[in-house]
Amino acid sequence: MDPGTDSDSKNLPCRIYPVAVLEGHSDRVWNVAWNPVQHLIASCSADKTVRMWSYSHSPNADYPSGDEPTPCVFTPATEIATGHRKTVRTIAWSPSGKNLATASFDSTVSVWERVPGDENGEELGEWECLSTLEGHENECKSVAYSSDGNLIASCSRDKSVWIWEVQPDADFECLSVLMEHTQDVKCVAWHPQEELLASASYDDNILLYVDDPQDDWFAFTTLSGHTSTVWSLAFSPCGSMLASASDDRTIRIWQRYPKPPVVGANQLVRVGKGSTAAEGEWKAAFTITNAHERSIYSVTWGKTPPGHSSIGASENDRGWIASTGGDGHIKVWNISVDGDRNVSHRLVADVADAHGLVDVNCVSWSPLEPGILASAGDDQKARVWHITRNSETN
Amino acid sequence: MSSSTPWNANPVIQEVTFKSKTRQSAAEKRRATIASWFSLESSDDDEGDIAEDPIDEEEIFDLIRSINDPEHPHTLESLMVVSQKQIRLKGNLLEVEFTPTVPHCGMATIIGLCIRVRLLRSLPERFKVDIIIKKGTHQSENAVNKQLNDKERVAAALENPNLLEVIEQCLSSADA
Repeated sequence: MDPGTDSDSKNLPCRIYPVAVLEGHSDRVWNVAWNPVQHLIASCSADKTVRMWSYSHSPNADYPSGDEPTPCVFTPATEIATGHRKTVRTIAWSPSGKNLATASFDSTVSVWERVPGDENGEELGEWECLSTLEGHENECKSVAYSSDGNLIASCSRDKSVWIWEVQPDADFECLSVLMEHTQDVKCVAWHPQEELLASASYDDNILLYVDDPQDDWFAFTTLSGHTSTVWSLAFSPCGSMLASASDDRTIRIWQRYPKPPVVGANQLVRVGKGSTAAEGEWKAAFTITNAHERSIYSVTWGKTPPGHSSIGASENDRGWIASTGGDGHIKVWNISVDGDRNVSHRLVADVADAHGLVDVNCVSWSPLEPGILASAGDDQKARVWHITRNSETN
Repeated sequence: MSSSTPWNANPVIQEVTFKSKTRQSAAEKRRATIASWFSLESSDDDEGDIAEDPIDEEEIFDLIRSINDPEHPHTLESLMVVSQKQIRLKGNLLEVEFTPTVPHCGMATIIGLCIRVRLLRSLPERFKVDIIIKKGTHQSENAVNKQLNDKERVAAALENPNLLEVIEQCLSSADA
């Protein structure tokens, strides 16, 4: 069966059209990440390398009727032989788009920068390792930059979450080692605006952390409810909700409800200049049961592309979640929240066998191109998709 | 990896059956008979038939029955750790249940990993495989099951050279 064909989803409002197949890795692709500023996408693999492709918008503006246009054309850009001794599991771009962090099963995180190619600094050269962050005792599973690029979080099978400060001169100082999970930590994710960190674990829990400026980083909330390993986390673009995906085959939505601020070790915690990172109470809002038929490995949350309707009133729209996992499906859900904070969801698109008959490990919305999604699979390929109106139902 | 005191010093061993070979020749006879009935050209079609012959529980059992136990010079079949009855196949979903020889067996994770690696290397990629300990036969069965079915943990374990060496030793007889 060709990847990307689906026979069950013809009645959904949108369809998932294949745009590109990014080949080159020689082992399963674990993760894929879009550069937030440049037209560049990176992937990482069990083959210990990172590959990058650049893309441009397709010049072809005439779409034959019935055919889907190809919005972007991808060309291979770079291959980084990272020097990691084992699988590269996760990659993360800095918000400036200039740096890339790689998390590896060899227990280290490396941070990369592209050196200027010539004396004027105009042509860009090779990717060079700025620094290697050591300290984890065994496999690193995930790495992420905070929204302002000042902090990096990493996590590992050693049950810990480390927070590092990004300093000038390629110096990275470890600010905190958080040992609050009781098992392997699978994923870390930063809030889109505030200095608030979430972590997901094999212990079935999600923890939220903030910094007490007079003391240390600490976990102020445990989000329990999943009945098996939590693989992946994604904050909503508006920052008031968090989606989690689990081996228990559910996607859970957690929401921040108004409440007095968090009390830390030194009484009231105010982060930054009147920041509200620690305010509000995070609680379970909704569970999408049987979202997939096997373990769900990845969830990503992006804005609803322009021109697409939402479930209710447009001011209630909170964007699109994409999810994927061991059942080989990529699914897209529209989320909306009404005035009473009731969350509703609707499946808007579904593609089966997205990477053929093998697992899909990661999905990620493009931050620059509406409706464009990348995925990484056990077929050794990364793929790019366009989710748009189903011409047969609309 | 050495263990001076085995987890199970006195394993119970059963006689191994040799059904697989008789079944193989029976299948060949069946194909030849059908081919002659329909006057089919036997040369190319035989290979096509063999490729399309659906994999069943017996073939899966044949893949894992002669994996060596990590501690004793016996196969998983003769130690009654695996059996054909404990293999459940439904479409592309495969569940393999195994029974450690004693409830405190510290080798349970390694045995499960050996089964997983053997199947990973032998089965078409369309199979989704779950490996579980028979309920009630091991004191840490939930913890072991969770590890054996976490693909990231399995992948990382297989990048550990010491662990991989132990697994390869157990598989060496099965691969022969």
